Amino acid sequence: MGLACSVDEGSDLYKVILAFLLVVAVSVLAKDPKAKGTSKIDIDLSRMSSTMVFAQVNQMVTTPQKFVGMRIKMKGVFSSYYDNETDQRFYGCVIADALACCSQGLAFSLAKPRKFPDEYPAEGETIVIIGYFDNVKEESGESYPIIRHAEILKE
Amino acid sequence: MPELVEKLSFYLDFPFVRYAIVVGVLVSLCSSLLGVTLVLKRYSYIGDGLSHVAFGALAIAAVLKVTNNMLLILPVTVAVAVLLLCTGRNARIKGDAAIAMVSVGALAIGYLLMNIFSTSANISGDVCTTLFGSTSILTLKIEEVYLCVVLSCVVLLTFVLFYHKIFAITFDENFARATGVNTTLFNLMIAVIVAVIIVLAMNLVGALLVSALVVFPALSAMRVFKSFFSVTVAAAIISVVCSLIGIVIAILAGTPVGSTIVAADIVAFCLFYGVSLFRGRGV
Repeated sequence: MGLACSVDEGSDLYKVILAFLLVVAVSVLAKDPKAKGTSKIDIDLSRMSSTMVFAQVNQMVTTPQKFVGMRIKMKGVFSSYYDNETDQRFYGCVIADALACCSQGLAFSLAKPRKFPDEYPAEGETIVIIGYFDNVKEESGESYPIIRHAEILKE
Repeated sequence: MPELVEKLSFYLDFPFVRYAIVVGVLVSLCSSLLGVTLVLKRYSYIGDGLSHVAFGALAIAAVLKVTNNMLLILPVTVAVAVLLLCTGRNARIKGDAAIAMVSVGALAIGYLLMNIFSTSANISGDVCTTLFGSTSILTLKIEEVYLCVVLSCVVLLTFVLFYHKIFAITFDENFARATGVNTTLFNLMIAVIVAVIIVLAMNLVGALLVSALVVFPALSAMRVFKSFFSVTVAAAIISVVCSLIGIVIAILAGTPVGSTIVAADIVAFCLFYGVSLFRGRGV
């Protein structure tokens, strides 16, 4: 009886520990900004005025190390550019201004690659993207900011 | 309204917005103080001339890839301010002609250099930001904020300490000289301070709109107040309030910061002009 009771208690304890580990795992995953499926946005540029977006993107471009790994949401117009030297196409989300002189934008790469141009929005079409900010360092020593693992929410 | 307050509170969490407000208040305060003296000495347009010189120096700094462009802009602007304000009477090319020549010359050379020796992929953006201050105050680095705070404190302290001498030189330079005031020294001091303010104000409203910060608050205050002291105090308050309103509207509505501040100054001038008409004083 005493032993049986211990086995039951041990089994309950095992369940409690399993449940505890599950809760910890869920909470850790929820706190991990790179965990898939999380809705946490670190910087929501789509909520900001164009002046604020310009200033914020400027901060991200001039001091990228402060923003690497942050989940960014951004609203702008779709733009693409083909680089002959590297044989690569770059995609960007651009926030244009009325005079077209102080436009700001960030390059992005999709989490699930698509075929260009069929599966991409048309040039100049308004898009909302969400992804993780990164600073790519090239062999030449130069670096450029990019939003990685991006998804296009609205086309 | 609660939505706007919530949005403003959200924006105030960003350090660069707080830096912009601090620098905006200090620069507008300094520029309005000296603005009264410059308007009364008939040097209203010197702000425009010196800001164009600062633009030219900025272009040279960009071409030479000077990391801290302030090291070049400030000395060049101070030198030209001293030339214009201190040797104006003895120079062969005098007053407004000298200012006009320096102003357009520096602007043209600056734009030419930026085009020929392009160091940026977005020249039009750089020119637009420098000339119209579209967002430059929101892109300040912390070192620039500290520099602005230090220079503003020096300007304010100098103005307060030498208030009586500046007052004497502003109204009657010959009389001030006759009473033993070293007018050459104080004119030199005013020239240096004006140059420092112009360079600082370029970050706030851009090179083309600097004159507005110098002229509008002083002219608005002169519509209603009549003594040098009351005009100076009123100009300082008007300038600070207009800058704050301009910055807040610009970040909330997404309008260019410099021109929004100047628009606020124009509205203030119209209000004060209206008050002066209402009180029967006229222009």
